Amino acid sequence: MPHESPEMALVFSRVSARFDDEGDKSVSVLKEVSFSIPTGSFMSLIGPSGSGKSTLMRVLLGLMPHENGTIVRNFSRSAMVFQNYALFPWLSALDNVAFGLRMEGMPRKERERIAREKLQEVGLEHLEKHYPAALSGGQRQRVGLARALAIAPDLLIMDEPFSNLDTITVEALKTDLLKIWRNYGMTILMVNHLIPDAIELSDQIIVMGAHPGCIKETISINLPRPRDPRSERFFKEVDYLTSIIRSVS
Amino acid sequence: MYISGYDNYYARTYRILSNIIISPPPAESADEVRYDEHMIRSVAHPQSSAWHRAHLARHRRAWVLMAGVVIAVAFLLVSGYFKGVSWPTLGMAVVNTPYRLALAYGIALMLGVSLALLVGWSPFADALFPVFDILQNIPSFALIPLFIYFFGYTTQMIILFAISSIVWPILFSILTAIKNAHRDLNDAATIFGARGFRRIFAYLAPLSLPAILTGSIVGIAIGWESVIGAEIIVNNISGFGAFIRSAGISGINQSAIAGIFVILIIVFAVNRMVWAPLLVESSRRYAE
Repeated sequence: MPHESPEMALVFSRVSARFDDEGDKSVSVLKEVSFSIPTGSFMSLIGPSGSGKSTLMRVLLGLMPHENGTIVRNFSRSAMVFQNYALFPWLSALDNVAFGLRMEGMPRKERERIAREKLQEVGLEHLEKHYPAALSGGQRQRVGLARALAIAPDLLIMDEPFSNLDTITVEALKTDLLKIWRNYGMTILMVNHLIPDAIELSDQIIVMGAHPGCIKETISINLPRPRDPRSERFFKEVDYLTSIIRSVS
Repeated sequence: MYISGYDNYYARTYRILSNIIISPPPAESADEVRYDEHMIRSVAHPQSSAWHRAHLARHRRAWVLMAGVVIAVAFLLVSGYFKGVSWPTLGMAVVNTPYRLALAYGIALMLGVSLALLVGWSPFADALFPVFDILQNIPSFALIPLFIYFFGYTTQMIILFAISSIVWPILFSILTAIKNAHRDLNDAATIFGARGFRRIFAYLAPLSLPAILTGSIVGIAIGWESVIGAEIIVNNISGFGAFIRSAGISGINQSAIAGIFVILIIVFAVNRMVWAPLLVESSRRYAE
């Protein structure tokens, strides 16, 4: 059961949310969602479309109001990485990464130093002057990740960050992401649509059901890290999770 | 079908813009880069290489045709067709009309941009849209008698009237750009701290730049009509409109034709040499 405790970065307790559709019809998108994320853990959300994963993130970030229920936010700063990157096309890679710091009023020199550092961490220091349009999908996502890291978040939210990218790019990004997570120790909440990816990365996986979005099952993945996605135990987890997802959709 | 001021604006925008856009060549590297359906696209920007080829060809034909026009004018000039034309008067018109237009455009730009950014930033944007929709449905020339009533047959009247017609496309294109901005881009701006007034300068204004450009192009195209139309009505003044009118009335058709050619050449040159390169730059920068 979710409960308020200092070790939890985030607690959702019976949170519901509605969308105002056309006219006076309103659609329930989240129904009594309860879960909690231990501080420093890697949590994945998985579920069919219509299960309110994106809504959940927007509610959690305060971008959308929720109808009822309680949200305990036990983190000081959150940042987000988007499925379609959502980089500002009028800013260079460096300025994109420095955007959050600029909004805090940090002087140019200081914020560019930090932004360069973050670009280096994601392996793109040579592309700092490039505009997003001149970057590949994988590079854009790395800039998006660097932009999130720049504001030193203790909760990093990722909305299907890999779904627009090819497999090779995804493999490299996953490795880097795990490295970053180890170094920073922040809490990560990721929406994921691939079962093996979710198992390879996460401590816990929340399986959501659709119409309205609700939590069907929370699964802990206890495989030791680094995880070998071709080991027998890994396959067993994949099978188990697949069977659960089949049963809910 | 419901046709709003908005659609009206789009039809006009398309007509004017498609005439002067040169699309940049498609991205060199990239397979998935430009055609990804999840990408955020800006208004009136090229979508494919076929589009690009068609428009490039169209653009070249326009240059060829224009060269033909210039040669024909030169030929008429040499052959003495324009003998009765009062060139000093036309020369003053060449200075005065664009000057009025520039002044009106400058003021309309400031007005339109600040109003649009404020409305787009405020939480009332959706509520205000229908208001603008209705206002923009008023044919601008219907307002001329009102302007004349308040300001008389003066240059101020011409400029104020021109402002009232130029400001709409600028306002609408910016509001549209803000309204159609990808939700994720909006969220990203909010999450990374572009809140309050800061949001206007850090997010909404740069987001609107391509729209300010396209709005300006359409606005100026409409502005030419307004300024010249108002000049024809005011009459007792130095400008293209008055020049063409007095030429027409006194039966010196050569003067009217000379005036029309001069306007054609000026507008064409400004479109190709100022706006087209700016559009290319903006679509290159904002392409996603």
